[in-house]
Amino acid sequence: MSGLVGALGEAWSEIRHHKLRVLLSLIGIAVSVGAITAVVALSEYQQQQMTEQSDRFGGRPATIQFMANSTDGAPMDWEAFGAHVDRVAERYEFSHFTRIVDPVMLPLQTPEQVRQVSTRLVDPAYPVIHRTPLLEGRWFTEADAELASPPVVITEALWEVYGSPALGTGFALQIQGDVGGSYTVVGVTPREYIGDEDKHVTMLYGDYTARRGILPPDMGVMWEAWVPEDMAADIGPALAADLRAGLDGVDVMVSRTDWASRPDQAQYAQTFELVTGGIAGLVLLLGGLGLVNIQLVAMRQRIREIGVRRSFGATGSRIFSSVMLESVVATAVAGVVGIAIAVAILKAPFVLDMFQGMQDIPPFPMRAAVIGLIAAVAIGALAGFIPALVAVRSNVIDALRF
Amino acid sequence: MELVSLVRLEGVAKHVLLPDDTRLDILRGIDLEIAAGDHVAIVGRSGSGKSTLLNLMGMLDAPSEGSVAFRGEPVRRMRKARLDRLRGRNVGFVFQQFNLLAGRTALENVMMPLGYARGRDFWTRRTAATRMLERVGLGHRIESTPEQLSGGEQQRVAIARALVRRPALILADEPTGALDVETGASVMSLLDEIASEADAALVTITHDLNVAARARRHYRLDAGVLTAFALDVPANAAAADASGLAASVEEGTATSGDADPEPRRAEPGPDGTEPKHAKADPIEVAS
Repeated sequence: MSGLVGALGEAWSEIRHHKLRVLLSLIGIAVSVGAITAVVALSEYQQQQMTEQSDRFGGRPATIQFMANSTDGAPMDWEAFGAHVDRVAERYEFSHFTRIVDPVMLPLQTPEQVRQVSTRLVDPAYPVIHRTPLLEGRWFTEADAELASPPVVITEALWEVYGSPALGTGFALQIQGDVGGSYTVVGVTPREYIGDEDKHVTMLYGDYTARRGILPPDMGVMWEAWVPEDMAADIGPALAADLRAGLDGVDVMVSRTDWASRPDQAQYAQTFELVTGGIAGLVLLLGGLGLVNIQLVAMRQRIREIGVRRSFGATGSRIFSSVMLESVVATAVAGVVGIAIAVAILKAPFVLDMFQGMQDIPPFPMRAAVIGLIAAVAIGALAGFIPALVAVRSNVIDALRF
Repeated sequence: MELVSLVRLEGVAKHVLLPDDTRLDILRGIDLEIAAGDHVAIVGRSGSGKSTLLNLMGMLDAPSEGSVAFRGEPVRRMRKARLDRLRGRNVGFVFQQFNLLAGRTALENVMMPLGYARGRDFWTRRTAATRMLERVGLGHRIESTPEQLSGGEQQRVAIARALVRRPALILADEPTGALDVETGASVMSLLDEIASEADAALVTITHDLNVAARARRHYRLDAGVLTAFALDVPANAAAADASGLAASVEEGTATSGDADPEPRRAEPGPDGTEPKHAKADPIEVAS
């Protein structure tokens, strides 16, 4: 215990004593640890953004989608097929299950004119499965079914047509035609990219059919279920078989739509991390080489000091661990500084601008900090090893005479 | 009463091989025994092997021939780490060039040996070092670095460092070599005093006979051969220059002064054993 405390104390006092040398030798280490940490974190941000984007289109992992059409080109009887789907789905007890009809064109009274807006009919599970972000308000809840004025969620561009009024103060869309009526706006989705002018309404499937009766036969309905990723491979074929069973003249297609089913994206993220991380690793290695160099020169200067310490009872292993720890403690400090730099970079507004539209900004990834710190300590140990060996091998007698 | 032998050198020789394959004998057939509380001075010219002998006694170096034993245990058989710890625990070094750790305060310098101790000594090292610095009269300079201290003060810090673990053996290699006569004398009195207080054996290597005269036993090292000699320095010999004294050493004879007829060395005991430690009268070196 006293040995370890003593060696650590000695290392720390050495670092304090040689502040300038240590500082100069560690700039490279701090910068490269910062780079490694930032690269790992940025790669996580990028992955998060890609995930969110692809979740918006294809659903979260694992999303199983199925649709049906009649084999003879006759219009589908959606009511009958829907009932069949409900029976099958009941057996699977999906936690998140939604119908999707997209688009349904509806005439909408805007302040200036009546215009056709494309509308998506969904169930409340849809925004969960697709991780659809909100700019304002909320998504649908089960209690919405009780509302006299059905809820809708609109896009930011459509909201601006009305002058972006506050939600919850009676702002409602006036839809005309078959399903005409007042629809309370409960939420607004943000633009997906700069210049996104998509004017879109999302409405509950149940609200539409309640007013319209049944769905027009020329429309296509899709179903999506969010299932545990590890079970997707088993559920898919079983679900397909169950859906097809007992149906004549209906073709059912079952597929997985989430990004995780396509390894190319994950591979891309991995390649980005590997390439940029590799470059940062090389920089770190160069920083380490610089550190070895400086430490070796420092050892020559400190040879007398080492001799004195040896003559006062410092064992070889104690000298070795002190010199080694000196490097490790120094690079660990540099690592912490590097991580702080990385955190500062990631919190900088221009970086967050790069990842616009990210719904869940991941907290500073611990993985990045841990990798950065491990890299720093490892390079410290590597860089300290050779000087420590030199220090131990120095002859005490010569050292004292030096 | 039989003396406890601290360090015993028997037939010790040290030689090195030169690059041209010739053998250089540094020490030859050295027999020396240092007892606890002993005070020995070794004088000799530069290059006579004094420092090598000191390194052998301090277990920093191993002899080419012969044996070195510490408290009766042969050093050669000890494992390196154990030897290092044994040295740290029992031997204190005082160097000519002080060899204080640059940039570190006096307190840090004195604490350093205790950093290699274990248990209570380790955890209370700050208090012990402060007390030791107070003992050498530097209680007010504990935060000063060697660069801020005079030569005499630095050597006092070095003495505090050598004694802070209360070693049984203090090896001083030309402790006054870098100091003026007056400062050297006061440093030597301090070293003598603290060594006797701690009942530590003190071996001083010097070419200054005034310094050597403080010891009770005297040896001359010439061309690697150690011979005992009697040394007496008159109390009024302050002005005697080192070369004159050195000449008398060369002859290997004891000199006696009129003003102080008492020899400074202790006489051998009646049974032929080495003399027991008795506090010697200080010799006034400075006038």
